[in-house]
Amino acid sequence: MTDFLPTLLTLASEPVAAQVGPVGFAALKEVSLSAPLAAWLIPGLPMLGAVLAVLMAIGGVKSKLPAWTTVLCLAGSFAVTLWLYLQMRDAGAAYTTVKLFDWISFDYLPGKAFVANFSLYIDQLTCLWMLFVTGLAACIALYASEYMSHDVGPGYCRFFFAFCLFVFSMACLVMGDNLLLLYLGWEGVGLCSYLLIGYFYAKPSAVAAAKKAFIINRIGDLGLALGIMLTFVHFGTIQFAELLPKVEQYVALATSGNLAAVPASVQWIAVLFTLAAFGKSAQLPLYVWLPDAMEGPTPVSALIHAATMVTAGVYLVARTMPLFQCGAVTVPPDAWVLPGLVVPALDIVVWGGALTALLAATIGMAQFDIKRIMAYSTVSQLGFMFVGVGLASSYAGAFHVFTHAFFKATLFLSCGAVMHGFGGQLDLRKLSGVMWMKGWLVVGLAMLVGCLNLAGFPFTAGFFSKDVILAEAFSNPHQRVVAWILLVTAGLTAYYTFRVFFRVFLGPKSFEPGDEAHGHNDAHGHDDRAHDGAGHGHGAKGEHGAKGEHGAKGEHGVGEKGAHGAHDQAFQPHAPGWAINLVLAVLAIGSLVAAYAYPTKWVKGLVEKSSAAAVDLTGSAAHAPATLLGMDPHEIMYYVSAGVGAVGILVAFFLHYLGRKTAATSRADAIKLGALQRGAQHKWYVDEFYDATVRVPLKVLAHVLHFLDKVLVDGLVNLAGLLPRGLGMSLRPSQGGELHGYALAMACGIAVLALVALFSLV
Amino acid sequence: MLLVLILIPLLAALCVPVLPKKHVYGAAMLGTLGALALGVFMFAFNGIDWLAITGDAYTDRVSWMPRIGLQLSVGVDQVSGALVLLSLLLGPITVACSKTAITERVRTYYGWLLVLQSAMIGVFVARDVVMFYIAFEFTLIPMFVLISIFGGSNRKAAAIKFFLYTFTGSVIALAGLLYVAWYYATKISPPSVGGAGTWTFDLETLKSAARQMPAEQQWWVFLALMLGFAVKVPLFPLHTWLPLAHTEAPTAGSVVLAGVLLKLGTYAIYAIAVPMSPGAAVAFAPVVAVLAIIGFVLIGLVCWVQTDVKKLVAYSSVAHLGVCVLGLFALNPTGLKGGLLYMINHGLSTGALFLLIGMIYERFHTRNMNELGGLARRMPVWASFMVFFAMASVGLPGLNGFVSEFMCLLGAWQAGGTAWAGLPGGTPGVLGPAYVLIAAVGMVVGAMYTLMMVGKVVFGPLKTPEDEHGHGGGHGGGPGGGHDDPHGHSKLPRDLSAREIGTLLPLAALCLLLGLYPKPLLQAFDHSAQKTHQLVVEAMKQRAAAAGATAAAGTAGTAAGKLEGSGTAGGGADQ
Repeated sequence: MTDFLPTLLTLASEPVAAQVGPVGFAALKEVSLSAPLAAWLIPGLPMLGAVLAVLMAIGGVKSKLPAWTTVLCLAGSFAVTLWLYLQMRDAGAAYTTVKLFDWISFDYLPGKAFVANFSLYIDQLTCLWMLFVTGLAACIALYASEYMSHDVGPGYCRFFFAFCLFVFSMACLVMGDNLLLLYLGWEGVGLCSYLLIGYFYAKPSAVAAAKKAFIINRIGDLGLALGIMLTFVHFGTIQFAELLPKVEQYVALATSGNLAAVPASVQWIAVLFTLAAFGKSAQLPLYVWLPDAMEGPTPVSALIHAATMVTAGVYLVARTMPLFQCGAVTVPPDAWVLPGLVVPALDIVVWGGALTALLAATIGMAQFDIKRIMAYSTVSQLGFMFVGVGLASSYAGAFHVFTHAFFKATLFLSCGAVMHGFGGQLDLRKLSGVMWMKGWLVVGLAMLVGCLNLAGFPFTAGFFSKDVILAEAFSNPHQRVVAWILLVTAGLTAYYTFRVFFRVFLGPKSFEPGDEAHGHNDAHGHDDRAHDGAGHGHGAKGEHGAKGEHGAKGEHGVGEKGAHGAHDQAFQPHAPGWAINLVLAVLAIGSLVAAYAYPTKWVKGLVEKSSAAAVDLTGSAAHAPATLLGMDPHEIMYYVSAGVGAVGILVAFFLHYLGRKTAATSRADAIKLGALQRGAQHKWYVDEFYDATVRVPLKVLAHVLHFLDKVLVDGLVNLAGLLPRGLGMSLRPSQGGELHGYALAMACGIAVLALVALFSLV
Repeated sequence: MLLVLILIPLLAALCVPVLPKKHVYGAAMLGTLGALALGVFMFAFNGIDWLAITGDAYTDRVSWMPRIGLQLSVGVDQVSGALVLLSLLLGPITVACSKTAITERVRTYYGWLLVLQSAMIGVFVARDVVMFYIAFEFTLIPMFVLISIFGGSNRKAAAIKFFLYTFTGSVIALAGLLYVAWYYATKISPPSVGGAGTWTFDLETLKSAARQMPAEQQWWVFLALMLGFAVKVPLFPLHTWLPLAHTEAPTAGSVVLAGVLLKLGTYAIYAIAVPMSPGAAVAFAPVVAVLAIIGFVLIGLVCWVQTDVKKLVAYSSVAHLGVCVLGLFALNPTGLKGGLLYMINHGLSTGALFLLIGMIYERFHTRNMNELGGLARRMPVWASFMVFFAMASVGLPGLNGFVSEFMCLLGAWQAGGTAWAGLPGGTPGVLGPAYVLIAAVGMVVGAMYTLMMVGKVVFGPLKTPEDEHGHGGGHGGGPGGGHDDPHGHSKLPRDLSAREIGTLLPLAALCLLLGLYPKPLLQAFDHSAQKTHQLVVEAMKQRAAAAGATAAAGTAGTAAGKLEGSGTAGGGADQ
């Protein structure tokens, strides 16, 4: 243990580049698994869980059975993933493909086939991703069995159906051997996200959030779909095992500093994929859906909107790293602005990530809803990951994805436990000292672990993974500005993280129960169906959505409670039960243990033995070790980022813990920043901006088009219809009958037309 | 055997007028189910290898007036077979969905519905122009009756507009077809004893005859045919009859209209217009593609501001068929197969959406999205189906719509002209990425209006007209419980009945099946699509040769010989 730190430091200061021989896909050899089709159990078992959930919904199961089948299926899926990982670990730098059956495959010209099958591509990156996806999914399903327990019945089945379907889709996304199966997963997770955000469907805000998420994601999906088409047209294949070798020649061009020589059709692929990645992973300018997505049940927020789905963008970049390395936007040399400018796609990724990280962190600092703060921190951390992969270091990005999955799931589930127990209360001004209340210690400790990770406290997993990214940024001479942005963001992150912790979990014990309980809203939905025979009275209830009267008759033994009164005596917080505590403990320990992946270089090894390992963009020979203040950036980053994190935590401690007497007030109230504060509180008015510049004009355009369609297009038709009518009437005024007149006129018309056609063209 | 297939619904239709009223529904069901059973037998269990055959199967001829070449000639290939199966499948479904909705004048209703069934099959299996045209037009009359008697409040105007608009269109198409027949008789056919040529209306003969016409005559024929068929599709800007007709039609009418009748247009474009004049198809492809894209994107936006949910789905048909036409006019195998698949897929998913809308209209007597909302709470089964088919319609991968939408767009991109044809994934063609980039915006627009609809009708706070007006008191609710309906449909349960679920399940199953395993259909369409593409490629070579010859004549004659040599089968270029 004594030489732990020095070992760490030497490992960290090891130069990232200096790879010799082939890297990425070229370094992989094809192997075959001992039981190849078993790999299909990884998506197959969650699918089975989804089917079972549907059957249980049809069968009217009113117990927790769907949760148990889900947990079993997902645990099974995790076990198979583990088996797969062990096989691949023994195989080393290798890949394998496992085909199940043909999907979209056809000949587009005689002898030339478009192939997109239900087929898996597995290398070590796949294993890494699927390990934490299935593992976390199984844990969170267990958590949800308790969290959703007030909704046992059809709603419970619906929840676990979408949950299982999500894991299936995620597996397709990560394991697909071609871009189209990846796309199936990509849109599939979007669908599940839609269904789960809108889980409390009687609530207009939830429905709106679900719709927003789906549509903004669709904009990103558009980029992916177009990118896939372009890939296919240019390379004639979209299967990774065939595609990646074909990209190599262009990567060689790009890495030798000749990016402009790569054909434009190849350059654009990565740009289109960037749009997709930024949509799914909530980056500028498409991040606005993720904070709203917090309308969904908290287990969903933890699994989908923090740990797994939103990292799909990072996965896409890592998986198609060769395409990104030769991706760029090239301004034509004869353009009147910036002629001949070449913007590498990876730079777009880096800058998008860095700016999003900073922006989201500033918003997160000013919010009061703890779940939203966590959502913004997710957006911000995703920005870090994109900087990582954008610096052509798949390892940096993937490692942060890995650690973030654990600690952010922990954070969300802790917040969820609080929300569950305090009647849906999420306002950090109305909760205080939760950790010291009876039965809440596990939640508090888990939250502390999560916060330490997020704040980058030394020797936590989050600390290491963030440092890798920072060091990568500082060691790249072109990205110093980005590096400084990230460093500032790291400080802000530490502040807002511990702001939550100090306000909600420490300090004097006091709370106000929430009156707009998500959980209770849900209980209400359950009520409605349970008393299905009670007739239309429920219709009226439905319109009340989530209002307090229903909250009051939730299942928490809550007494009579006014809509807004702080009847603390009557309301007893509902401390979490065994499932929630167990899962929180496991995840908290997991996020501590995840730190061990750094000194053992476990994640690094996995990524570098996969197709995601990037050819060094600067050229290994020319790669001079960059220095910062005369030291190796990796080494100095430990002290710098630890210092920055400590400052953030101390500021939070001073403002939100020291001398705080009530839940609602703190020293921070004295700080008035005017417009800056207001702007951050109002999320910099980005939603309003989009509304005014995109949605409203589109709506106006749609109305105008509808009007034109009715008046102009149809008007012309009606006008044309008048002609034969006039003709018919003048010919046979006595008839005047509706259809007869028309038909006659029409017949005349036909005759004329036929004659014209017959004879004028001869 | 095909003639039997056509006759079964027709016979049932003849029985309907003499049957007692209460047995009419059963007879109609029997007729459509019988036809479906025979169809399934013919296509699946009669030992025909659909992946191998290259011509028509089940060909049959009934001579009618041999002197002028009139005959009834039928046959099916894989493409028309798939569409026949689609029509046959929708048959029993349309009958079943009318059971409670239509309670008066049932004989008229089911009689015409059965006639319609026969006429639609007739169009797909017709192998000569006269039969094709008769069947094509004969779909109009039943539909006219269905709309004008059993439709909504504005049914008369809608029916007349529908009839006249599509009738005018098809008459123009007929003119084009007749011209080709005349051309064959006078210019091509061996002179008979009388000195004049022999007339024939055989489609295959006329197709090759038309291809031998001078280029500009082909253009005119193509324009006439397109004008007629595009009304039926309907292609922007010839679509305005559709929203009206759909909104006013009874549910079964809308299902047939969206499911099959619109496909008559795209089928005729694929099976007649393009093979008759591939050169003109190439020349006009950019124009048609632009119209199709306008339909997909701008009409999609129009969907977004509808308040009548049925009108929204009707407009969305215009948008969806825009993609289908775009795929067809990519004129390469990918696009053609995608377009063909789109016809089937759109029939399934949009047909189902109309069924679902009919179900809520029967219960609440409104289609206004401002009066309906949050039905998931009251009708979870209905809501599940609605979300499912909405997703199929949006083009979610794993369901059927995606496969065809992706193929249509990919086909259009592959057909990127010379700049792209040299790339490994390119094909000859005249469209390209610019079309796809704009068309793809329609995918987002599609999500916008579909989710708007789902968000309003399925999700949100529960809202129904009764609750609005506050007479919710006396309702028993619950499965089987009374739903006091002023129109006497008191047998309708609150959520879907077994009969209603039965109409949706086969469609849902097929949506899923074709989404996950479209391969059999893609393989079945392969031969036909490759053949059509071959025609197009030859036409493009001729065009290039003609253009090259013109250019060469202006400068020097050196290149002309080479180009003419490459322009194979240059029979048409006789200017």
